[in-house]
Amino acid sequence: MSLSTMLSTMAAGMLRTCGIFILTLAGSLPLGMIVALLRKSHFPVVRLLTRAYISVIRGTPLMLQLLVWYFGPYYLFGLSIRGWRFPALIIGFVLNYAAYFAEIYRGGIESIPVGQYEACEVLGYSKSQTFMRIILPQVIKRIMPSVTNEVITLVKDTSLAFTLAYQEVFSLAKQISASQTSFTPFVIAGVFYFLANYVVAFVMERIEKALDYYR
Amino acid sequence: MKKVYLALAAGMVIGVAALTGCSSESSAPATTAAPAATEAPTEAATEAATEAATEAAAEAPAEEETFVFKHGFDLDYPPYSYIDDNGQTGGFDVELAQAVCDYYGWEYEAVPFNWDAKDAELNAGSCDCIWSGFTVNGREDDYLWSKAYSDNTQLIMVKKDSGIETLADLEGKAVGVQTSTSAYDLLNDEEGQAALCSTFGSLEVYETYTIAFNDLKAGAIDAIAIDVTSGTFLMSGEEDYEFLDEELGSEQYAIGFRKGDTELCDKINAALDALVADGTYDAIGKKYPEIYDFLCLN
Repeated sequence: MSLSTMLSTMAAGMLRTCGIFILTLAGSLPLGMIVALLRKSHFPVVRLLTRAYISVIRGTPLMLQLLVWYFGPYYLFGLSIRGWRFPALIIGFVLNYAAYFAEIYRGGIESIPVGQYEACEVLGYSKSQTFMRIILPQVIKRIMPSVTNEVITLVKDTSLAFTLAYQEVFSLAKQISASQTSFTPFVIAGVFYFLANYVVAFVMERIEKALDYYR
Repeated sequence: MKKVYLALAAGMVIGVAALTGCSSESSAPATTAAPAATEAPTEAATEAATEAATEAAAEAPAEEETFVFKHGFDLDYPPYSYIDDNGQTGGFDVELAQAVCDYYGWEYEAVPFNWDAKDAELNAGSCDCIWSGFTVNGREDDYLWSKAYSDNTQLIMVKKDSGIETLADLEGKAVGVQTSTSAYDLLNDEEGQAALCSTFGSLEVYETYTIAFNDLKAGAIDAIAIDVTSGTFLMSGEEDYEFLDEELGSEQYAIGFRKGDTELCDKINAALDALVADGTYDAIGKKYPEIYDFLCLN
């Protein structure tokens, strides 16, 4: 295989990797916020369920979760899983990352002093106004470094898609490495991951700077 | 309290699974039609097949589709199924499966899977067969098998100047093997080569033979236990390696179907016979010199 064929084959795999990455973020960033709020709900049952969800998701390997999402419909309900590979993959990733993001958001929300809520009450803000206009903007600023960490981890975690034999860049690297008896595909995959993370880190840094409006 | 907690957790998991289960149904509407299509008459002669197809098309409503043959395989297993030099899915098994589909006018669908999940994939119906250098020996009762189409033997690969010439010379040496392979099973089987394995200094288990081969090159291990076909593939273009003459064991490759899929299995067997008779099997085999001598139908 020529180097250019290898590069173009793996670039196609990198596009699929980016697909997982973008869809996972698009799903898990908002879902994480919902989970974080449910985690602080007034209803004990809701709190308990959310805590159980977070604890199960964080307590089991993502690889195992992906297998459950993919094969579960068949083994639990006897449904056909034709064409279910990619949806299962995205559901697995989104629910997994939402649990981690939820805890990051919760940490951010709880770091805001109670005095601010009291001040808002005195000033006549409603509960939703307090959260959306006063609390949330500060939370987002504070959690950015942790979110960046998690996002960069996600870029590399996409390689777990090999469990469901999705042809993302790392699966392809393994397969091309086997057929070419060479390590070059792994080096290429490494460069691809690094470049992707470089872009992620750059963008996140820009966002952090933009949010740094008090300095 | 703990029990309540666990019960709730279990309930939630099942609940979410149920939700997604529903959506999977909608994402895969066409599957029920597939088995029906298999039953449609497909005679050996192409003319008869096309006639039958047109007949079927005339009788049946417009939704009648051609049977989609879902070929399940591992892309990590050159030269049977792998990514070829053009970056496409290829290999002897893939080409032979495509030839079978051409023969019947079926639509070919490649379903590359993770080897460790092959049984789950087959049982769940995401593929119709496991056809990927799949060893029959030791699994005779686990699947419905087609006729064997390839032999294989397990050998020991060493560096030419290593001084290792017989299996007995391996005493105290470090030997590498890939996990979930016939060679690995053989070395751990009491009735196989477990006794020999116990004389090794160590048995190093690798994720892939590519890494094992690099360790052999670098001198970290002294020998590799491997199928002759995979080994020949690895060694192509390398001068300094050879196989020991003594065999560890031998085996046959066939296509594994779900038990009860007799009709499909019979059809594939018939197609294999026809492809052997018209020379297609031999022609495909010639493209893969590493395995040509081991093909057992021609």
